[in-house]
Amino acid sequence: MQRYDYLKAIADDAGDALAVCTGWAAREWWAVRPSDGNLKTRTLGLVSSIAAGLAIALPRRKVIAIDGDGAFLMNLCGLPTIARQNPGNFLHLLFDNEIFEASGGTATASRDCDAVTLAKGAGYKHALWVNTPEEFRDGFTSAWEKNQLTLLAVKVEPGQPADLPPLKLDELENKYRFIRHLEATEKQPILNPGFDSKL
Amino acid sequence: MEHQAAEAAAAILAGLKKAGIDFVATLPDEKMLELIRAVERDTELKHVPLCREEEGIGICAGAYLAGKKTAIIMQNAGFLNSCNALTTTSLQFQIPILMLIYYAGDIGDRGFTTLGSITEPVLHAMGFRTYVLRHRDEIEDTLRGAQILADDSKRPVAVLLTKSTLGVN
Repeated sequence: MQRYDYLKAIADDAGDALAVCTGWAAREWWAVRPSDGNLKTRTLGLVSSIAAGLAIALPRRKVIAIDGDGAFLMNLCGLPTIARQNPGNFLHLLFDNEIFEASGGTATASRDCDAVTLAKGAGYKHALWVNTPEEFRDGFTSAWEKNQLTLLAVKVEPGQPADLPPLKLDELENKYRFIRHLEATEKQPILNPGFDSKL
Repeated sequence: MEHQAAEAAAAILAGLKKAGIDFVATLPDEKMLELIRAVERDTELKHVPLCREEEGIGICAGAYLAGKKTAIIMQNAGFLNSCNALTTTSLQFQIPILMLIYYAGDIGDRGFTTLGSITEPVLHAMGFRTYVLRHRDEIEDTLRGAQILADDSKRPVAVLLTKSTLGVN
């Protein structure tokens, strides 16, 4: 099974959740859940921290981080920070293919360590491995309904379907569409009013 | 001196609030102890204590996208830890953040001169507008001005906090 198979399994359940992606997963997530509530990060490792910032700032909105093992291992110190805040609306998804896929395919350290143990050690009260898309979907909907910070981790085969449409957004258009989407759905102004600002 | 540090911390906290800041990530330095404590005690600001500064740039970026006005309080070593995130998240997405950076290795400081000597050159190389706060009576105007600049330019802006501003030795 590839990451795409798992993403497809939860796309319909993701509702209006905000989703923050890293690496190749972005193209897959956009294909299964097209939305201006999707954001693709550029800093390897920061996907979980950016998603956590959103979740902390918007405690009533579900936020999904679509993390990879390379990024996850690069930002281990971010885990205790997230656990300390304990945002129940934050679903941390980890797709572990044991390689730096977008960077050429060399092995990460994830074959010799255990992401769920790391997350629990960092203070996540809920962290689990699943093995099938059905289990993944069950874990996802359960964490969503119980509103509890959860790391949901799965080992996947590398690769993705060849026919996925390419992302046509650069980061600025992605940002502005994301913010306008949030303004519309949260019914609150976010971007500063520029020259009219009273600040 | 402790009294002075508490007064300085209160003035900086008040300055942050007047500048509209409502979300603050921190990683302590001994010289900023009173300031961090003041942020911790405050009930209006959302405070996120960090384990490493670079994750704080990510957390603040997410909070900004959700409508928060963000600041990070850290030492200059932590600023150096954050340079990739500041480049490929803050600059690349044009996301502002007010950086309050304790200036270790500033003029008259022992033990951190290596760090101090590259702090301003790196800030300038990254294109960040940078203000060194040396006088207590400039706190409010500088923080407010720096926040306007960050918000309007959609870029990080640095305010370097010195021992004289923080009321510490």
